[in-house]
Amino acid sequence: MIEAIGLVKQYGDHIAVDHLDFTVEKGQVLGFLGPNGAGKSTTMNMLTGYISVTEGTIIVNGYDMLEEAEEAKKSIGYLPEIPPVYPDMTVTEYLRFATELKKVPKKDRETEVERVIGLTKLEPMRKRLIKHLSKGYRQRVGIAQALVGDPEVIILDEPTVGLDPAQIIEIRELIRGLAKEHTVLLSSHIMQEISAVCDHIMIICHGKLVLSGTPEELQAQADQGESLEVSVLGTRAQLQEALSTLSGITEITEAEGETEKSSAVLIKSDHDIRTELSAALAKAGLPIEKLVRHVKTLEDIFLEATAAAEEEYRRSMEEDEEYEEEGAESEASANESEASSENTKGQEETK
Amino acid sequence: MIAIMKKELRAYFNSIIGWLFIAFFLAFVGLYVFLYNFLNQSAFIGYALSSVSLIFALLVPMVTMRIIAEENKQRTDQLLLTSPVSIGRIVLGKYLALEILFALAMAFICIYPVIFSFFGPVNMKMSYVAVLGFFLVGSAYLAIGLFISSLTESQAFAAVMTFVVVLITCLADGIAELLPSTAKAAYATYTFLWLIVAVWLWRMLKNSSVAIAIFAVGECALTAVYLLKPTMLEGTIPTVFGTVSVMKLYDETITGVFNLTMPVYYVSIAFVFCFLTYQNIRKRRYC
Repeated sequence: MIEAIGLVKQYGDHIAVDHLDFTVEKGQVLGFLGPNGAGKSTTMNMLTGYISVTEGTIIVNGYDMLEEAEEAKKSIGYLPEIPPVYPDMTVTEYLRFATELKKVPKKDRETEVERVIGLTKLEPMRKRLIKHLSKGYRQRVGIAQALVGDPEVIILDEPTVGLDPAQIIEIRELIRGLAKEHTVLLSSHIMQEISAVCDHIMIICHGKLVLSGTPEELQAQADQGESLEVSVLGTRAQLQEALSTLSGITEITEAEGETEKSSAVLIKSDHDIRTELSAALAKAGLPIEKLVRHVKTLEDIFLEATAAAEEEYRRSMEEDEEYEEEGAESEASANESEASSENTKGQEETK
Repeated sequence: MIAIMKKELRAYFNSIIGWLFIAFFLAFVGLYVFLYNFLNQSAFIGYALSSVSLIFALLVPMVTMRIIAEENKQRTDQLLLTSPVSIGRIVLGKYLALEILFALAMAFICIYPVIFSFFGPVNMKMSYVAVLGFFLVGSAYLAIGLFISSLTESQAFAAVMTFVVVLITCLADGIAELLPSTAKAAYATYTFLWLIVAVWLWRMLKNSSVAIAIFAVGECALTAVYLLKPTMLEGTIPTVFGTVSVMKLYDETITGVFNLTMPVYYVSIAFVFCFLTYQNIRKRRYC
């Protein structure tokens, strides 16, 4: 199980991850979703102890990542964004090295290598040098490495990048299989990817959590956004009257494309009213010109949520700039802030 | 730790690097032994080893340049740092691999004094002190190479830096003797060195005004000393160069008697640079 409380990562004055809180229970698959540069990889790097946190606590399998790093790391299998493979090793050599590194007991090493090769279907490539493997196979070697030692927690950063469709399905099945006895955390910037395997989705943008829920919850939210666009030959009043006979309509708004003869509206309702609607319009003698159902997908929810976060981020940046300009009026304070920002730049450079 | 050590050794001997290292090392030592001991009919190996020490400038970067730089570049450091192995053990594992590789090469050198003893009396104790000392010198240089490799992602940069550092510290004694000891030369040299420090500061801090200010303050102080009391600067260059000479203590030991200063000195260098490597890897995690 993973517990993250108030995670913050700051590079100079850029905040990459901004107060993230979440818990992943055993048997659960959590998906991180976000556009590129949202802070997914940074969060994963913090969870696995590759980089330190600026603020916050990480508890993996009951061990604090800061205090008992070795125990915590022992219970994590991690596939970073770029599979950490040595090009000059063969697949089996590499996996054997991984078993040694992850402290698998000596007598179990061979069987462990065989087990992960079987799980990731690397059998035909086992004797090849990793530098001669295609991107998809390299990715699989990376996944195999994460599974070595059968850790309780498995963290995969974009596990299906570079795989072909058949391989993607295989890896999804593998992840679902793992979920039964492990805690799995994976990231992607593709919604379908996440909704196909995850029990819980967290949408992140600019280091902040913008939306979270189960795929069903998000789907319900998407369904609420469903609307019917209807355009009929007749006046608006006639149309309104016909609509008033229907139950279940929650909202009627004006739609584009009205002409002298026709009128158009957007209708939101709590259930699918297409059949009732056409019957009512026929009864009122209003010929239907157009009837379009606008469906919202999870993808749209994702895009809306991130667009809103993007907008907010942009605004806060502009506010910051204005603030700095105000500060520039007083010369002394301006010099001070310049010095401090130069310092932080220096720190960034030294990393 | 053992896993990392084994991995590094396998990398050396699966590629040509490990074999080349041993082959070059033995060829050069063999050549110098032939010149110093066989042609000059000397039974003491120390002088040959002291003269051959310059090959560290070529051989050390050859084995250390990729040892950490490549992990940084290929992002395989993510595998090492997220596995249940502490950073200290990672550094130690890598350093041990270097030491074992070098010890394998040195094992052949141990045969030389025995061969010499077939031709006449050999001071075995002094000979093996010289061999051990040479091993310690190499160990210190390997630690320096390890540290330089941890500073960068570029193998080429690590190789060139290590080459320059080993070359200068190897030759420092000889260079120091050749350098002029006048105050004027000292003034020019220190100005140049101070300029390098200022440029480095500017690169580190990305702040030109601070770097220029520090350079100006130091330069003024230096000029003041030069104008008011030039005797203070006289003869300081050879002394300064003498202090960075890694080989000096070795040369002194093989011509005199064995004392504990030599091993302590070289082991300290090795320890300090392994520790700096550890700190450097730790630091990367915090940025």
